[in-house]
This record gives sequence, C-alpha cells and structure tokens, in this order.
Amino acid sequence: MKTLVAYITAGFPDIAFTKDLALGLADAGADKIELGIPFSDPVADGPVIEVANLKALQAGFKLEQLFDIASHIAPQIDTYWMGYFNSFYHRGFESFAKKAQELGVKGFIVPDMPFEESIQYAKILDQTALSLVSFVAPTDDEARIKRILKNAKDFVYLVAYAGITGSGVSEDLQDILTQIRLQTKTPVFVGFGVDEKTAKQKAQGADGVIVGSAFVKVLLDESLNGTQKIEKITSLARTIKESINS
Amino acid sequence: MYIPKPSKFDPDSFGHFGIFGGRYVPETLMPVLLELDTYYKTLRFDEAFWSEVNAYLKDYVGRPSPLYFAQNLSNQMGAKIYFKREDLNHTGAHKINNTIAQGLIAQKMGKKKVIAETGAGQHGVATATVAALLGLECEIFMGEKDVARQELNVFRMKLLGAKVHAVKSGSRTLKDAMNEAIRYWVTNARDTFYIIGTVAGPHPYPMMVRDFQAIIGYEAKAQILAKENRLPDFVIACIGGGSNAIGVFSHFLEDEAVQCIGIEAGGLGVDTLKHGASLLKGSPGVLHGQMSYLLQDNDGQILEAHSFSAGLDYPGIGPEHAYLKDLGVVQYDNITDQEALDAFVWLSQKEGLIPAFESAHAVAYLKKMPSEKLKNSLIIINLSGRGDKDMIQAKELLSFE
Repeated sequence: MKTLVAYITAGFPDIAFTKDLALGLADAGADKIELGIPFSDPVADGPVIEVANLKALQAGFKLEQLFDIASHIAPQIDTYWMGYFNSFYHRGFESFAKKAQELGVKGFIVPDMPFEESIQYAKILDQTALSLVSFVAPTDDEARIKRILKNAKDFVYLVAYAGITGSGVSEDLQDILTQIRLQTKTPVFVGFGVDEKTAKQKAQGADGVIVGSAFVKVLLDESLNGTQKIEKITSLARTIKESINS
Repeated sequence: MYIPKPSKFDPDSFGHFGIFGGRYVPETLMPVLLELDTYYKTLRFDEAFWSEVNAYLKDYVGRPSPLYFAQNLSNQMGAKIYFKREDLNHTGAHKINNTIAQGLIAQKMGKKKVIAETGAGQHGVATATVAALLGLECEIFMGEKDVARQELNVFRMKLLGAKVHAVKSGSRTLKDAMNEAIRYWVTNARDTFYIIGTVAGPHPYPMMVRDFQAIIGYEAKAQILAKENRLPDFVIACIGGGSNAIGVFSHFLEDEAVQCIGIEAGGLGVDTLKHGASLLKGSPGVLHGQMSYLLQDNDGQILEAHSFSAGLDYPGIGPEHAYLKDLGVVQYDNITDQEALDAFVWLSQKEGLIPAFESAHAVAYLKKMPSEKLKNSLIIINLSGRGDKDMIQAKELLSFE
C-alpha cells in the first residue's frame, strides 16, 4: 500500500478548523500529516502555500497554536512539523524538539535545512527520537545522495522537480529513484506538484506521495464554507490514495 | 594588482563565521552552491582571473577610485576627513566591483542567464550593466515599493536590456525581492547564475562578495598612507547588507589602531518599530540562506524593516558583520532618516558632493560621534554611492525657497 502524506497550513483559517481537517484527512486515508508552520518568508513554496502562510499570520497564528493542534491530532495520526528553520531555531532547537517529543510529534521536515547544517543537531534529534526527514533533489548527484541518505530515517522526501511547491513542472525521476534505492531501504515519498491528476504518475517507483498545494488551494477558495472545504479536501485525498494504489 | 588575501575572519569550509553564515537553502540549490564553492576556490587567488577582473575595474569602472580630502567639512568639524569616492564608479556606486567579478564567474561557468535582487536599484543596474557587457541574459527582482521610489534605476535596468520583476509580496521591498529571486533560482538552478548584491546569502557568497569589495579597503589603505603617512583613526561606512562596509573595513580590521564603525539605518528611531537596525535590535536567526542577526518577533517571524533609503531597508545583515559585532572588532551605530537627510543636504552644500541616501548615513555619523573622539582625528568615510538615483525622492522631501 502506497502512502499519502497530507500537508496543511496550521491555523488557517483557525485552529479548530485545522484539527477537524487533519482528522478528516486521517479518515479519508491520509497516513501522515505534515503540519505546516506558517512563516513570513517561505522561499521553497509557490504562491498557493505562500498566501496561506501569510494569511494564517495575518489571522494571528502563534506557535502556541501549533502545539495545541499537535497535541490534539498527534495521538490519532502520524504528525510531522514542516517549516522553515528559523521557526525551529528561534526559541532554541532543543526546547522545540522536546516540546515536539512531549506532544507525540514524529519528526521535522525543514526544506531550508540541508544535511550539512543539521549535523550539529543530530544528538538532540536522537535524544528526542525525532526524525529529521532527508530531502533529495533532482539536481543531486550520486555521491551527494549517498552522503545525504547515510542516516536517513522514517522516509526520504524526493523533490519532484527543480522548483517551488505547486508548480506544474514534471521531471523524469526513475534514475534518481534507482540511485536512492541503492543507498537506503527507507521509504521514498515524492512531493512537489502532486495533485489528483499527477499522483499516479509521480508515485511510480516510489512508496508514496506528499500533497500540499492541491489541498491548500481548496483552503484558499473563498466561495466555499468550512464544511465544504473539508469535504472537498478529504474527497481529493480519497481519490489520490486510490489512484496511487490502483 | 589587487588579489584578495586570506583573512583571519574567513569562514570555515561550511561558510560559518562563528555561529553565523552557513548554507540554509532548499536541497535543489545545494549542488549549485557546492559547485560554485569549488569553482571559486580555484579562482580566489588566481592571477589570471584577477588580472582580467582588474582590467575591467580599471578601464570600465574607472578604478582606483580617488581618496578625496574634504577641506570644508574638515574645517567645520575639526578633524581630517577623507572620502573614498565609490560614487565615481561607473553606474554610480560600489556595487559594480562585485558584479564585474560575479559576471565573469558566471560566464566562465558557462551560465547564460544571471538574476539579481535589488533594493535601491544600484545592484540591479550594476548587474544589468555587466550582463550587457558580457552578453548574458538578465532578470532583476525588485520590491514593488522600491520600483516606485527608484523609478530612474528601473528605467536604467530596462534600457540596459534587463527584465525587471516588480515583487508584490510581503513588505514589497528588498527582503521580498530576495525571496522571489531565490524562488526563481530554485526553479532555474541548472542554467542560472544568481549574482547576489551584498555580503549575505548562503556560502560562498558572503566571502566571495567580500573579496570583490575588499578592493575598496585595499586602495584606501595605500591612498591614506601616501597622503598622511599614517593609518586612519576611524573608517566609517553605512550598512544595509553590509558589502560596502566590509569592503572598506577589510584591510583595516587587523590594525589595532584603526576603529571601523558601521552605520545601520535608524529609520524613524531605533525605539520605534520602523528602522533597519538588525545588529542593534535583532537576534540570531535564519533568512535567505544564512544565519545572522534578524529583526524578528517572539515566534521568529521576520519583521519589516524601515528606512527612507531603499538600500538599507532590510531586516537582516551579512553574517560576517554579525560575527565582527559579537567579537567586538567593529563598532556599530545607527542614523535616523532625518539625520541622514540633513547630511545629504550638508554634504551637497559644503563639498558639492551629492551622496546616495545610503551613504548619507555614514556622513551623518560625523555629527553623532562623541566630540572627544572626533576632534583632531583622521577619518575615512566610504562614499559608497552618488545621489542621482535619489533625486525624485529628495525633491518630495526637500524644498529650497
């Protein structure tokens, strides 16, 4: 069974909604939740997730709300915090990691944290049993993939193309998947630009997909009310889960 | 011939200046940065490369820039004041020192396209200029607010053949221009060279840009020794990202007798929320590929900076400055919008030199310096750019009847 990881922006439009949405996604077949920490300068993200980040901040998002949401959903679905490194660093990486551990969070996904910079935090991550998800990009060569994946834990995040989240670009990933398989037995999930139309093709040769912008686009649709948004997103999740496993 | 020299303030092999610097970028960019790092290592002390750079700097940029003794200001202030005339460079500021060298590297690496972020537009113009010179495609990212307040530079860039993107997100200034440039770079990593305009961004940029701007300090040191037969007491420069400052400080940092002073944008006052004083009011954090001092809130969200000068309107600072601050090697202070505007008029009317708003911050510090330090001292101020680009904005702020 291939895995579906669902990204949602925390606290957008409010925390009660994020909790309902996360649990709705779990019911619809999502296996893991990437709880996005809104950040003022999300440089790896395309316009959809960027706008959701900025709107969540305008609506008053604070890290306390991330903790609240995580405490509610982590007991029911594998939960990861996805965000930019400054959010993890600002209050002290160690205390942030301990908070995550205490709330039952599984790991961190930090797109602006290459493995060279993460080395200094390896001990804290070990002590708190958190996984820092390894990113592999299509620009990486074999030697670098080998270095990155030496300590891969939980899953490998394969970036589907050189670019930002949610763009329509497509690159052939079969070679890089082969190279990753030579280095690790850790499952490989493909993210960036995965939606109901592309999921099946992007999941080819991988163990799962990560879907973000396709869900967040619905979150931003002002013609829908909260209930309709949850219905539409969970139905998309069902479709994607079926399609990658068909 | 100018060739950079290793400095005791060089970063480690990962680009760390103490805890600062480093490489905090999406994985897609890592191979590109590692390739650049490896390539730059072969050029850093390479005579052939530097003779090529120096040839352009001499005949195209107009270097060495003069060190001018400001008689009238000196008389008024009771000190010997010299200006390092980066304002006389082709394109009107120090920025071209850096873009010439990065443009040549882009060309040597076989990249056909260059991109750049710009605040005041000086770096954008300097990049567009070099792109025209070297036959490279050029796209410039500039905050929408800066596009409005620096319309002359926007026109210059277009005239030079560059495409200018007006960035509409966030504060619509330099910070957001850099976000958008990084997004474009991630998307076009394979064929695009990012010419970063200041001593910031991921390694090796802070070190590389410092090497390219350090020619300012190299010349200034020789010039002051020739004219005064001694080292200056103070070297003063304004700081946005910090490239003109690092440039002029570079050859004086290891001289105990010389105190380097960096001037941040005080905006409406450092006790308001409207300023650009990242070193004074910020705390360590990660933005735009590096760790440095940042203006940020309790959750680590980046705050909007403010300065009437677009080139200083940035909530971060180059990592080497953060390091030099913590080591106590360089002193940092700040100057408000009003003080800088007063100095803009003062220098224009006393010496017939119209400085860029950015550079006016450094000039204004002469009036803020404790008088016991100022009196009878020998001072170099880096006049990093000329004020032509600021005429439209100045016309709105000033009236002479």
